[in-house]
Amino acid sequence: MNGRQSAIFYTIFRLIFAFGAVFCALFPLYWMLTMSFKDMIEWTPTEVHWWPWYPTIGNYLILFFPKDLVVQWGFFKPYIMLISETAVKSITNSLIFSICGTAIALFVGTCAAYSMSRYKAGGDYMFLTFRMLPPVAILMPIVIWYATLGLLDNPIGVILLYGLFPVPFVIWLMRSFFDELPKEIDEAAIIDGASPATTFVKVILPLVRGGLAVTALFIFILNWSDLVVALFVTHRVAITIPVQIGLYYSDAGHLYGIMSALGVFAIIPTLVFGLAIQKYLVRGLTFGAIKG
Amino acid sequence: MVEKQLPRLTDWFRVPQKFKTLLIIPVQIIMNFTAMIPFALTWYVGMTDWTPQFTTNWWEATFIGPVSFLKVANDTLFLEAILRTLTISAVVVPVEFMLGFTMAYVFSGRFFGKKFLTLALVAPMMVIPAVGGWTFFLMFVESGPVNGILSMLTGSKVSIPWLTNPTYALLTIMLVDIWQWTPFIFLIMSAALLSVPQEPINAAYVLGATKWYTFRKVTLPMLKRPMIIALILRAIESLKIFDYPYMITGGGPGHATMTISMQLYESGFKYLKYGSTTTESLVILIALIIVGWYAVKPLRG
Repeated sequence: MNGRQSAIFYTIFRLIFAFGAVFCALFPLYWMLTMSFKDMIEWTPTEVHWWPWYPTIGNYLILFFPKDLVVQWGFFKPYIMLISETAVKSITNSLIFSICGTAIALFVGTCAAYSMSRYKAGGDYMFLTFRMLPPVAILMPIVIWYATLGLLDNPIGVILLYGLFPVPFVIWLMRSFFDELPKEIDEAAIIDGASPATTFVKVILPLVRGGLAVTALFIFILNWSDLVVALFVTHRVAITIPVQIGLYYSDAGHLYGIMSALGVFAIIPTLVFGLAIQKYLVRGLTFGAIKG
Repeated sequence: MVEKQLPRLTDWFRVPQKFKTLLIIPVQIIMNFTAMIPFALTWYVGMTDWTPQFTTNWWEATFIGPVSFLKVANDTLFLEAILRTLTISAVVVPVEFMLGFTMAYVFSGRFFGKKFLTLALVAPMMVIPAVGGWTFFLMFVESGPVNGILSMLTGSKVSIPWLTNPTYALLTIMLVDIWQWTPFIFLIMSAALLSVPQEPINAAYVLGATKWYTFRKVTLPMLKRPMIIALILRAIESLKIFDYPYMITGGGPGHATMTISMQLYESGFKYLKYGSTTTESLVILIALIIVGWYAVKPLRG
């Protein structure tokens, strides 16, 4: 086989490989998307329905409107019994918790990161190690502590945890952004008579606002994706979307379409934000170790 | 007479040494309140036999002392869960690495549609893990499309009990993890391959080295650090697996898909054995703090 032939062979191989990989990557998502538009009779058919034969938006309606109304409109009479409430509460909860948690994590993390970057404050490796621990093992003691304080199933409790768990990411990411700024900027500001606090707030922070935005979106994605924390410390009042998806799943019946509709709803923000900061994902996920 | 200057409140913003401390205080507060106090509490609760059915408050539970740590060694379910999680890790991490690296290498040149294909490939990583688990539940149900595709390929009706057979259920859990996190390796290795300088590779070609030999002896050594970081992060993350078994099998059939996290959740929240669950959490935490401390070394730059 000469060089030209092997180049053509490689191109063809690459195309087949790429399309195979893309098919594997996207088919599960396609399947959930179509499932969310399927009518109840298509949820577990004897023969696979590759697309919705009787498309319906009933699954989405049931997420947002009270069940009596949806029954009146003529959707899903038998399964409606299993649904106690709409998903509106869990969606608002998810939004509020993720945003507040991100704000807290960003504030405490950025301050600490600046201190570690410029003043060589210690503790940065401790936070990295903290991130390596399984959240379930950390949460068991936290549940006991929260039960003592009465913070279980309380929005404040969840927000605090959403402000704590992503802190290692914030510290290491922001630190990598701070380290990229030359030290001379700080020194110049100090010589001009600015205090350390003024230097930090008025000079350095505006320079890293791009990094702050990337970090904020990254942390939002992390918090939005969380199942474990919410599952452990919430019960009814403060549930979030991933917990709610699990609640539609019971021994009485799997509400395939409704769970998929909520699932589609849950992945939209992460898909949009994730693809928006795709350039920085490597840096984020490796704690700034690989710049990408 | 030299007047000694009194410390002022604004010194916290003016004196570098004080400002350094001030910046650390918020993170210390949240860390101590939500993580360190509970961790200290664990040491006591872990040595009791607390179950909330009998005594509502942990301080009323019977103190049994460090014997509780010995009890962990007799908890076969817990030990099995550890072994199972390690097995999942040992299978999933190399497979993800090989797939992701191959993808990154195949995608390393310039070709038509690269940007779009990359976006599509990275998509699974953006899906939240709980939903990722749910999509695989939908795919692998007996009436689902995986059996459908297999039926189409073989021409006869295939109905593999993916979720009700212990071995297949474990395989399903591994497959979700591979589906979701291969893109992670792909992204890291793509970035790493981009940053490899071309001159040594061209020099090797000029000197008559074959493609495979150049890759092995020139490219690979330059990729060592990203490779190690990717492997370590994936290995540690795969020990935390919780969302997939929770969404797909609930730990079943039997205990076939009980990972460490699932096991802790189940014994804590289903059987309410708070005392022993806390002890087990503590054992896992201590073990992983030690492992983690050394594992994060390559990340230190």
